[in-house]
Amino acid sequence: MTRLRAEGLTLGYDAQPIVRDLDVTVLDGKVTAIVGANACGKSTLLRGLARLLRPRAGTVVLDGRAMAELSTLEVAKVLGLLPQAPVAPDGITVADLVSRGRYPHQGWFRTWTDRDHDAVARALDATDTADLVDRPLRQLSGGQRQRVWVAMALAQDTDLLLLDEPTTFLDINHQVELLRLLRKLNGESGKTIVAVLHDINLASRYCDHIIAMAGGAIVAEGSPAEVITAELIAKVFGLECVVLTDPVAGTPIIVPAG
Amino acid sequence: MTAMITPVTETPQVREAGATARALRATRRRRAVRALTATTGLTAVVIGLFVLTMMVGSFRLTAQEVVTSVLHLADNPSVDFVVRGLRLPTALSALTVGLALGSSGTVFQQLLRNPLASPDFVGITAGASLAAVTGIVLFQVGGLAVCLLALGGAIAAALLMYVLAWRDGVSGYRFILIGIGVAVFFEGITGYMLTRAELFEARQAMHWLTGSVGQASDAELKLLSAALVVLLPLAVLLSRRLRVLELGDDSARALGARVERTRALLLGTAVLLVALAVAVAGPIVFVALVAGPIANRLLGPATGGIAAAALVGAALLLSADLIAVHLLPTPLPTGVVTGAVGAPYLLWLLATTNRQGAGG
Ligand SMILES: Nc1ncnc2c1ncn2[C@@H]1O[C@H](COP(=O)(O)OP(=O)(O)OP(=O)(O)O)[C@@H](O)[C@H]1O
Ligand SMILES: [Mg+2]
Repeated sequence: MTRLRAEGLTLGYDAQPIVRDLDVTVLDGKVTAIVGANACGKSTLLRGLARLLRPRAGTVVLDGRAMAELSTLEVAKVLGLLPQAPVAPDGITVADLVSRGRYPHQGWFRTWTDRDHDAVARALDATDTADLVDRPLRQLSGGQRQRVWVAMALAQDTDLLLLDEPTTFLDINHQVELLRLLRKLNGESGKTIVAVLHDINLASRYCDHIIAMAGGAIVAEGSPAEVITAELIAKVFGLECVVLTDPVAGTPIIVPAG
Repeated sequence: MTAMITPVTETPQVREAGATARALRATRRRRAVRALTATTGLTAVVIGLFVLTMMVGSFRLTAQEVVTSVLHLADNPSVDFVVRGLRLPTALSALTVGLALGSSGTVFQQLLRNPLASPDFVGITAGASLAAVTGIVLFQVGGLAVCLLALGGAIAAALLMYVLAWRDGVSGYRFILIGIGVAVFFEGITGYMLTRAELFEARQAMHWLTGSVGQASDAELKLLSAALVVLLPLAVLLSRRLRVLELGDDSARALGARVERTRALLLGTAVLLVALAVAVAGPIVFVALVAGPIANRLLGPATGGIAAAALVGAALLLSADLIAVHLLPTPLPTGVVTGAVGAPYLLWLLATTNRQGAGG
């Protein structure tokens, strides 16, 4: 059984739907990348899957039940999402921000248990941000800030995690580190992870499954070897490229042609 | 020639297991201690000012005389007359109006994610003023009727703005811009009303418009106090959800908050608090604007303590009343004093907000 899937999903903001009649199944216990050109509807799909956007038509099914029937807290205990452009109040410190990820696990009265402390500490350690806890978020570099946001999503401690461009602002080392972290979380605790990524080569190297989108629809999906072809890249991004084999991992990599 | 690459040696940081959790606990404890100290200190200051306002005046009293009289511990007819009869209502009014303005202001600012989003500026106070002045000028009403009109005006203005600013939910920036527009519109009509008024009504209306804690009747005070007893704890209880709403609608929903419902509940609470405060004391400007930021200075950035902001509001209003009535050569309405102190702060806020680009 798959825990998260959508059937006939239509999503949109104004008159025109962005995503139309889309079926998708998120593979359990796998790391999935969503790739596609700017404005093709990746964030919209992710927001629809995480019930941040009410579907115009179709349903999202989580653990066998229609998402619309579930309470938002129930959903938040198993499904987390890091938005593409999250906002935080002025002056907030890293410790404060990451701690707010524990919200769905706490009751009416702020009760901090050891479990909360451990989850936050693990998230900080995993993202290499433990040294920043007392710093205001605003004083951090873009990459540090991005890792703190990922830490907040991790602190929520959900089985399914949707990340919208978690590698933006990161240097090459931290991009790789983050993808390794996702792999590790997936390997150790079997987390199901879906991430919107723009770097095809990193997606190909570190993800089990790739979903390629264009114009609000899924145009191809499968393992990196199946999906990453010169034709598909031309179709999705309008880029002529050559597909080579990564000498280290044996996964496909692309280089622009000409 | 080959490029030189200077090797960067970095000692790999291996954190001892549990070190982060310990550091985190220490951080949380430090914050909790700071919040407790600041809130306790503020409570002490507010109680001190509360007693002090009842000691000074043409008939000076000691703190002990005031306290025993307020708590009905001793019988001394002349002291009781001055304290319970004359000074306690004003002091209570300053205390409750301050608590209401402080808590309401900080909820608005956090909810709309903007330090300028004080109820003073987003049309709610202006709505109350318009209703009150209309009542005074056109229907010659006074006392409790003006209070109820102002209350209705504030709530109507808030509802109007919610309708105008609503589009797939309320976004902070749009709410503020529309609020400012609505406020200017209301103020224009209020000004027009004043030009149409007879001299006596115009004076009354002007007096109401400057705001004063000294004019509250017994019934008004009871209404405000009863509302505070319910609304203030409710706001404090909701502050945990407010912490999450501050992260934006998407993050808040992802964390399991029912965004629209929580926001409506918080806005409703804050609107009622400010509406009651304005109804009782008239538009006392700037207290709602500055209370939250001052509380954050004391508790730490982005802590958003609602109780602390309420206490700051009370301390500000009690001090303003002391200054207005006792320190100045001629007694002034409280609103004039808070305005004189608050205006420079507003200018500073406008100047710095734009520079940091944090205005929206
Ligand atoms: N809040 C919104 N209101 C109206 N239209 C929106 C909104 N958010 C996105 N859109 C529109 O929906 C379309 C898809 O946007 P979406 O954010 O899903 O793209 P994306 O694939 O995530 O792009 P990117 O790679 O740039 O993040 C775009 O045309 C965009 O203009
Ligand atoms: Mg996007």
